[in-house]
Amino acid sequence: MDNITICRCEEVTLEDIKNTAKKYNCTAREIKLRTRAGMGYCGGRTCRPIVDTVMEHVTGEKPGDNIPLKVQPPVRPVSLSTLEGKENEK
Amino acid sequence: MYDVIIVGAGPAGLSAAIQCRKWDMNVLVIDEFPKAGGRLLGQLHQEPNGEWWNGIEETKQLTETASKLNTEIRLGISVHHVEKIDDGFLVHTNHGDFASVRLLIATGAAESAAPVPGWTLPGVMSIGAAQVMTNVHRVRVGEKGIVIGINVLSAAIAREMQLAGVDLHSMVLPAMNPVTKDHAHPKKVMDKLSRIAHLAPSAFLRFGGKVAKANIARKLATQFYPRNGMKMWGMPIHLRKAVTQINGTDHVESVTMFDVTADGKLKKGTEKRVEVDFVCIAGGLYPLTELAAVAGCPFHYSEELGGHIPVHNEEMKTPIDGLFVAGNITGIESAKVARAQGKVAGLSIAREKLKGIADLEYKVLQAMNDVRKTRNEASIQFHPGIEEGRTKMEDVFRESKKTETAL
Repeated sequence: MDNITICRCEEVTLEDIKNTAKKYNCTAREIKLRTRAGMGYCGGRTCRPIVDTVMEHVTGEKPGDNIPLKVQPPVRPVSLSTLEGKENEK
Repeated sequence: MYDVIIVGAGPAGLSAAIQCRKWDMNVLVIDEFPKAGGRLLGQLHQEPNGEWWNGIEETKQLTETASKLNTEIRLGISVHHVEKIDDGFLVHTNHGDFASVRLLIATGAAESAAPVPGWTLPGVMSIGAAQVMTNVHRVRVGEKGIVIGINVLSAAIAREMQLAGVDLHSMVLPAMNPVTKDHAHPKKVMDKLSRIAHLAPSAFLRFGGKVAKANIARKLATQFYPRNGMKMWGMPIHLRKAVTQINGTDHVESVTMFDVTADGKLKKGTEKRVEVDFVCIAGGLYPLTELAAVAGCPFHYSEELGGHIPVHNEEMKTPIDGLFVAGNITGIESAKVARAQGKVAGLSIAREKLKGIADLEYKVLQAMNDVRKTRNEASIQFHPGIEEGRTKMEDVFRESKKTETAL
């Protein structure tokens, strides 16, 4: 059961998250930084709520008013040339 | 510089755009999907009064009205960042940056996954993906499938797939694990279904409604739930069976299923393999709020509304100057509510630009009333405590304004 994949983009398992949470007794945000869960291609859209749920189960951390795992731009995959403004209009 | 940029061309975004255009505002609507309509496109269900709700037709009405009003709609463009600038907002997309005085975020909702071991195999998809493939792209997702997760959304979509001639074995629960939580608990699933039962068109949900009066009855109903499930439109719904594993080497080949107790515990010796070539997982919806977050909007966590919600009031204003929200980003409700909220947002935005027009004041109030009315009459309600959630949000917004004044 624990080998179930939680973050598909970065291939982080339930076991990885549980162990890290126990070892460092940390918050969901720290889990993200330590395991890379939620930092992949989809920007955490798939696993964000799951990581929250796992954390509630493991450390009892309840969701607060702040967005879990924090959101950083870009919120969609974009190429560096787009960010530089070189590929504006096709 | 646009008067307003609207992110999301679903029922909320489109109806807001229509209102803004009626007041001759300079509007840009952006959506990352190649078609306008948002999740409305996939919807097809029968209302309790017998009438059909056809999302494609509803979309057509909205887009036709919008185009008669010369609304600029750009599709297939993704917004990846929103920046607050001195006199408005800078919206960054993969096709350049656009500036506007006001911004309406109507990005809707995303699906929560309910992971079951094997859920990364090809052939496993979210129930919403199956809906889009079936009703929007008209692609058959597989020969025979099973739906894991029993809720209002999955029941509605299972019915749509059935209407499209897709063969479904049954609807079952996911096995209990630290991630599936309440989705795996027969009694809790029954609770949720029965609280919305009087609104639901199906015989199955009405069954829940009959026993919903007393907690003890509901418990009994879960206890004595028929072993072969109850049928809805000829398809078995199993509240007392759960999938522990999705099997296959390169593709889904089968699922492993157990009978479960009323508390969701697996019964030993009841293991069974069901051959399927696709699996739909239904874990519910949560508001898609990334852009509101990067724009710096404060949030409030509300279980009733479906997750983290940008703080806003009934006029669809957030505490950030010029930033508005509408639709499922403000809480998971039906497309009709989203459309009504979009109208409020559009009028609210027009009022802010064209200050002091009495007619607009009145129209905003009228549109707000219409949202309440639509909510009360909704045939699909995703969360039982939606009213409480909305009232609480109004308080949170007022508080946020007080803090602002104090600072």
